[in-house]
Amino acid sequence: MGASTAAAERPPASRPASSLGAGPVRLVTSVALDLEALAARLRRVTVVIADGRRGAGAGVVWRPDGLVITNAHVASGPVSVTLADGHRVGAALLARDERRDLAAIRVPRQGLEAAEPGPVATLRVGQLVLAVGHPLGLAGALSVGIVHAPPPAPADDRGAWLVADLRLRPGNSGGPLADDRGRVVGINAMVHGGLALAVPSAAVARFLDEAGLGGA
Amino acid sequence: MDTLLSLSTDLAGAVERASRAVVAVHARPRLASTGVVWQPGVIVTADHTVRAEEDLRVTLPDGTVGAATLAGRDPATDLAVLRVADAGGVLAERGDAADLRVGHVVLAVGHGPRASWGVVSALGEGWRTGRGGEIDRFVRLDLTLYPGFSGGPLVDARGRTVGIVTSGFAGGLELAVPLSTVERVVGALVTSGHVARGYLGVGLQPVELPDALRRATPAAGAQGLLVVSVQPDGPAGTAGVLIGDVLVALDGGTVGDTDAVQRLVASRPIGSTVSAALIRGGAPITVGIAVGPRPRRSR
Repeated sequence: MGASTAAAERPPASRPASSLGAGPVRLVTSVALDLEALAARLRRVTVVIADGRRGAGAGVVWRPDGLVITNAHVASGPVSVTLADGHRVGAALLARDERRDLAAIRVPRQGLEAAEPGPVATLRVGQLVLAVGHPLGLAGALSVGIVHAPPPAPADDRGAWLVADLRLRPGNSGGPLADDRGRVVGINAMVHGGLALAVPSAAVARFLDEAGLGGA
Repeated sequence: MDTLLSLSTDLAGAVERASRAVVAVHARPRLASTGVVWQPGVIVTADHTVRAEEDLRVTLPDGTVGAATLAGRDPATDLAVLRVADAGGVLAERGDAADLRVGHVVLAVGHGPRASWGVVSALGEGWRTGRGGEIDRFVRLDLTLYPGFSGGPLVDARGRTVGIVTSGFAGGLELAVPLSTVERVVGALVTSGHVARGYLGVGLQPVELPDALRRATPAAGAQGLLVVSVQPDGPAGTAGVLIGDVLVALDGGTVGDTDAVQRLVASRPIGSTVSAALIRGGAPITVGIAVGPRPRRSR
């Protein structure tokens, strides 16, 4: 469906706040439009990362100053980064934590659009979550799922994952897991038993602090 | 983002409401399964997840662990009922499984709570499981039943329970036993500890009926069922049915295959009488058979 057609079918703003089952076609169209908008926003903060050894992974622009977060297993040294605008740049490895599967790299750019980190502790089981990445090389692909289990406690830093009923593939690693408002709540890291496991965004903040990269 | 947020909030709310009646069932080594508080002190789970019959425990939604006893099990519909002394927990809020449509968004809720989402992928008529259980409606799900999810509720977008999910039937398909079947089986298990299925105690073989016989027997269709074995003290044997009789109708309805007989008889109350139209030695006769309970499979 073309964007203009879809826009014409957007339901009026006065529709009931919660209306599953009412006006099914309009609702489905409206959900799709919302997803499309969130996906577009996430794509603008998601990069492709290649270290020349295996398939590409993903990364999240964490700060406008060029700080990008990805998985340790995606970046083990200097990497090549394709930004959302299509430009390809080299990036230096700033810090790496294999245990937490996090890495921080810096691209030589300023004024980048950065991800908005979201709260993890308030996530509810069943709430919609979105992933953007490059599964099997398809750049910027969207996956939609739900929060599978109660989120890890804020104090639980060591090995506690954010778990989603959502389909990830190789190439999603290092990419964003976002809540239903598009806020990044995790960095996708692995698939276990069909479930998506992400490093909670709170752990990213701690990782940056510990690496002396905290603050802007 | 209003619509997406609203859908997301509804899904989270549905999990929250349903999970108030969801428990963990510890009835097999290592992997706990899921159960649903169905009546005060009564928990429903999937029979195939209950390996032990003693020292059972359940973890209630508030985290307390209590002892449970096995009140009854029905492998044919993959349902089992446990009793717990602590009647805490909220009862499952029931929806109407008849409202389900292919494409509806549904959730499976496991203990924890954990959740999996997807859609109803196929619906069909009532069906008979490999072990002879009558399931009122075929409900196939397009969602993942993660380890430990069997026995948990299938939840609609409003948070109401419309069935019990299981991957325990042949092929491991993600299926739901619909609410009406659960209610019926739980009722029987709570009352008597097992589900009695109607039974005649005969072995039957389909045979073509010659035209002459059909003309002489108004009740008959093109096929009849030749009695090839009779359990001596069984319901049919007691009523006088003999090897060599040809069954052509039950309660006035033509029966051409053994499935039709099993369906009809299994649905009859134990002790009720079915009228069997038979051909014996070329002549039509009618015999009343008191339906008996199917002998219980020894485990």
